Amino acid sequence: MFTGLLFCSPWMIGFLLLFVWPFVASLYWSLCRFDLINRPRWVGLDNYLRLVSEIGTDQGFGLALSNTVYYAALSVPLSVVIGVLLATLLSAKVRGQSVYRTLVFLPSVIPVVAASILWLWLLDPNDGLINYGLSWIGMDSQNWLNQSRSAFSGESVGVLSGWISGEPLRLFGSKDALVLMTVWGVGNFVVIYLAAISDIPNALYEAAEMDGASSIRKFWHITIPMLSPVIFFNLVMGLIRSVQTFTSVYVLSEGTGQPGGSLMMLSLQLFLSAFNDFEMGYASAMSWILFVVLLIATIVLFRTSRYWVHYRVAA
Amino acid sequence: MIKHRKNRWWICGLLWVASAIFSLPLVVMISGSLKSSEELARNPYGLVPESWSWNNYLDSLQSMPFTIYLTNTILLCVGCVVGTTLSCALVAYGLSRVPWRGRGLAFGLVVATMLLPWHITMIPRFVLISEIGLYNSLWAIILPTFLGEAFFIFLLRQFFMTIPEQLLEAGRIDGLSHWGLFWNIVIPLSKPALATVGLFQFVQTWNDFGGPLLYLNDPQKFPLAYGLERFVSSYSDQTHLLLAAAVLFTLPVIILFFLAQKTFIQGISTTGIKG
Repeated sequence: MFTGLLFCSPWMIGFLLLFVWPFVASLYWSLCRFDLINRPRWVGLDNYLRLVSEIGTDQGFGLALSNTVYYAALSVPLSVVIGVLLATLLSAKVRGQSVYRTLVFLPSVIPVVAASILWLWLLDPNDGLINYGLSWIGMDSQNWLNQSRSAFSGESVGVLSGWISGEPLRLFGSKDALVLMTVWGVGNFVVIYLAAISDIPNALYEAAEMDGASSIRKFWHITIPMLSPVIFFNLVMGLIRSVQTFTSVYVLSEGTGQPGGSLMMLSLQLFLSAFNDFEMGYASAMSWILFVVLLIATIVLFRTSRYWVHYRVAA
Repeated sequence: MIKHRKNRWWICGLLWVASAIFSLPLVVMISGSLKSSEELARNPYGLVPESWSWNNYLDSLQSMPFTIYLTNTILLCVGCVVGTTLSCALVAYGLSRVPWRGRGLAFGLVVATMLLPWHITMIPRFVLISEIGLYNSLWAIILPTFLGEAFFIFLLRQFFMTIPEQLLEAGRIDGLSHWGLFWNIVIPLSKPALATVGLFQFVQTWNDFGGPLLYLNDPQKFPLAYGLERFVSSYSDQTHLLLAAAVLFTLPVIILFFLAQKTFIQGISTTGIKG
């Protein structure tokens, strides 16, 4: 008993100092006004009320929340779909398979700071590579990081009608750029899917081929159901990761969340409230709301998982 | 999974397009970093530079206190790798090879902490670090790694479980205590797993931006990741230098990746973490 505790003592100390105490302290401070210098002063639910009152507005917590929801709603499903498709392709036994795999995986190894510097350049509205590529397929150049309006927003209707009357179609904004950069780094999800695909028994495909199933049917009726536990895992991890996105938005916007607050994600807003405005109470309350929202989202995902996740019965 | 011969050509075509799209940004980053600023403005995406401006690299190194940043990064990496491998191996041994009451619960808690977002603990940890006088010290980032990291404890525990009981039994007959078993049998047998943990921690520390942003404010203490970000705002009109600096910063990670590709891939596919 004693030996076991001794071996585990580093983690025990860490658990108490870096998890238990922070949780208690953060909960207490979220009910206080606290600027790091003066003692925390009890204000009850004021911080939470302020946060709730900002929901639905385009400032503070409300803006950060809607930005984060937009980013997560777009980047998480896109990463799953593109990740699964890429993994399926990369599992085909063709010559040069390992080269293709390496090339798709490599972007996800690039340090986020370096990747952000690269994308700042690629997304340049005047001579960026991305706009160059778009012009190749006949699309108008996009403003990317210089535009606060996102593609999937109400105002895009006006842009579309302007396009019909001959104006250039400038749909994509800074958050869409962030989604693009995220999808570029999908490689580590692909690796997880690839590992899962190689675990699918070949007999299933052989049986399907005997019945004359096409490649698409095999993908839809064998690969997808067999991958569903991993897709579920990646959905949960992707959601947690997208809500925590910090370094890329910090570098892309130089820590400001600009243009027009469109890159002000919850993590950045939380960081700035705490360490620029020294509103520790307000920031702590925000972290708790964030925690509860993430918890609810995860539980909902778990609840729905029984309808679509197919767990193999152990043989 | 797709086997018919007739399907081959379009699969190869799609693979070719996909890998070209994914690797093109990296290719233009490298070629861009070797162009003069004049050429970069005139012809940003020609894949082969007309004249190879190797001195971009030298210039980018000289436009920031590179040696200071690099020294700090190395200090951080060494400290964090030592801290993590040591503490996580000890804890993983305690959670796998020493029977004690409450072990299952402790392991459950380790797993639970993996899923917690950093937001809630950020401010209290900052206060704690400042209170013990570590603000603006590299120890603010190194010290917590000596207290274990859930993902790596998990990884090592799974590995230690696979070590045959007979080996430990033999050690016990020879009179080894748990401490002796840990150092003389478990650690030598676990070198690949420990290397995986060390590698992941190294890359994580090398890339880390949030930690230095939070805890360091003296430019003499900045590591590369943070110094590079500061470089962006002051050199935004010198793209060739920015690209060269980004390539230099990325290079060690890429080299490590190619040297230890298998370890990277296996580590990610077993735990789902990003290196």
